[in-house]
Amino acid sequence: MPPRAARRSLLAHAIARNIGLVLVIFLLVFSIFLYGLIYGLTEGRLPGGFELTSTVNNTMPLVLAAMAQTLVVLTRGLDLSVGGVVDLANALGAISLGATPARMALASAFILLAGAGLGLVNGILVAYGRLQPILVTLATLSIYQGLAIRILPQPGGAVPEGYTALLTNPSVPAALLYVVLLGLFWTAFRRSQAGIAIIAIGNDEGAAAANGINPLRAKLLAYTLSGFFAAAAGLFLVATATAGDATTGNGYTLTSIVAVVLGGVSLFGGRGSAIGAMLGAFVTTMIVNILFFAHIDPLYQSFYEGAFLVIAVVLAEGLGRFVRKRR
Amino acid sequence: MRGAGSLDETWRRALYAFAAAVLLFALGAVVRPGFVRPDSILAVLTVAVFVGLVAAGQTFVILIGGIDLSVPWVLNAAAILLATSSGGSDARAFSALLLTLGMGAAVGAVNGLGIAFLGVPAVVMTLAMNGIMEGLTLGLSGGMTCASCASYAPPAIQALAHGVFLFLPTALWLWLAVIAIVSFILGATVFGRATYAIGTNLRASELAGLRVRATIIGLYALSGLAAALAGIMLVGFGGQASLGMGEPFLFQSIAAVVIGGASILGGRGHYLGSVAGAICLVALISVLLAMNMAEYGRSIIYGVIILVLLLLYGRESRES
Repeated sequence: MPPRAARRSLLAHAIARNIGLVLVIFLLVFSIFLYGLIYGLTEGRLPGGFELTSTVNNTMPLVLAAMAQTLVVLTRGLDLSVGGVVDLANALGAISLGATPARMALASAFILLAGAGLGLVNGILVAYGRLQPILVTLATLSIYQGLAIRILPQPGGAVPEGYTALLTNPSVPAALLYVVLLGLFWTAFRRSQAGIAIIAIGNDEGAAAANGINPLRAKLLAYTLSGFFAAAAGLFLVATATAGDATTGNGYTLTSIVAVVLGGVSLFGGRGSAIGAMLGAFVTTMIVNILFFAHIDPLYQSFYEGAFLVIAVVLAEGLGRFVRKRR
Repeated sequence: MRGAGSLDETWRRALYAFAAAVLLFALGAVVRPGFVRPDSILAVLTVAVFVGLVAAGQTFVILIGGIDLSVPWVLNAAAILLATSSGGSDARAFSALLLTLGMGAAVGAVNGLGIAFLGVPAVVMTLAMNGIMEGLTLGLSGGMTCASCASYAPPAIQALAHGVFLFLPTALWLWLAVIAIVSFILGATVFGRATYAIGTNLRASELAGLRVRATIIGLYALSGLAAALAGIMLVGFGGQASLGMGEPFLFQSIAAVVIGGASILGGRGHYLGSVAGAICLVALISVLLAMNMAEYGRSIIYGVIILVLLLLYGRESRES
């Protein structure tokens, strides 16, 4: 039985424990409000269904890349090869998605498996090679990018309309369904034995091993799933762009880290939620939208994004300390 | 004091990196007989200066378990600032040089402030700073459309990058000076001792009364300074500045430090190792170019070789 005082602070405790999630929800609401305000002022009406659909579709690749990055960051790693896997999936998608549904399904399954395989390579090198994750993925990033350029030397290829309609339908925000499914997946996964193992080794590998968790197996799973989701990000990217380009995925290495950080996932491992990271991906897109409609010179865009990232992280840190002190 | 054994271990890794560089030159000689003529060796070493300078800054921050991802756009901003502020004239070369180096150090110090006082993780702080510098550089130069953006580097600085003094390129003399200074700072000063102590155990260093925050800020300022110096040398070498010229140096500088035997977790490593790492990388790229390897092949082999080197001597010990 918890003492009375502890029970009274149950809400405060829940907020303190999920401070990252609380903050990213606040950021998202605030940025959507600001976006609506600026959009209304410049366009004379409120953003509607079209804006929602294009925002969701444009964010989907980053949502999946953020999911990929979260799984590795939770194990106290960092996956720099996310961009390379996105590139590779993008290039493979552009050349292999045929016209028939069966062909599309087969090619997609193959690409997702290939992504998982590339992730497994990272995992084997980290777990059995006993190498630092940041170094392994730095090297494999170079390898995967090289392979992607080999497969698709020039931008091109074609994506059938049906595929784009299924993944990122340009007329209805159906892709929100995928976000919900990913959220459900995460909710189930983090309660499963495998999910608990991944979070546990990020907290304290030695203690996790002493409690019967196999750290090697948990790492292999985290990196494999990371490769799988990064490949899915590549498929969504090729679907929105309707043609392939073996270099557009490069940026996802860094933006996925930004989304993860905004989403309150600790870079020191063991703390955070993929749902937060996915919301962080949406915050990132909203900032770009706000800057666009505020008619900020696009040349200054990275300046504002960088400044925003620092401010958000400092705020989160300060707020977290404040809440912990009050508790 | 740490045991002599661990120091030997770090030097041994640096030696391996030098051996790998020699091996790569030998491989180059097999592929193309002219590869090991003195002048072509000097040419490879001169190209390695740029990576080597950036790697000096990266060594400083990696020694405390940090990282500097702001290198690309600090370097790029420095190159553009030098060209525009000097307007290509020798008369203003010196003040432009001071301004550019000051900018690099100041940006680095801001990184250090954010990390030491605001508690922002180094990855996030320097990643954000890279974006901030990119935005400022693009915005202030109007996307390289400004009137003075097409300025050439002052002839004196071009001469520094291209000249020859006492049989060696002046760029190499500069690098040798930097090697001496950095090795002195790390090996023989209180600041250097504090750096290794913080990298080994931050909390213990605080309790021992070391000025941890000031040291962190100083290290990041040095990293910004090194990136700015590399930018100056690069614009002197190429004549004009361009957008995106800093991009390749981020991963190359980190790879050079790690191939040189430093631990990415901090507390272990020497700048001489990073020097060997930089030579290794540039020699490798030169060999692949000599083999007429396509870009994708270079990218793949580059990654594979880094992995092989890491597996050979970059593995963590089993006890953790």
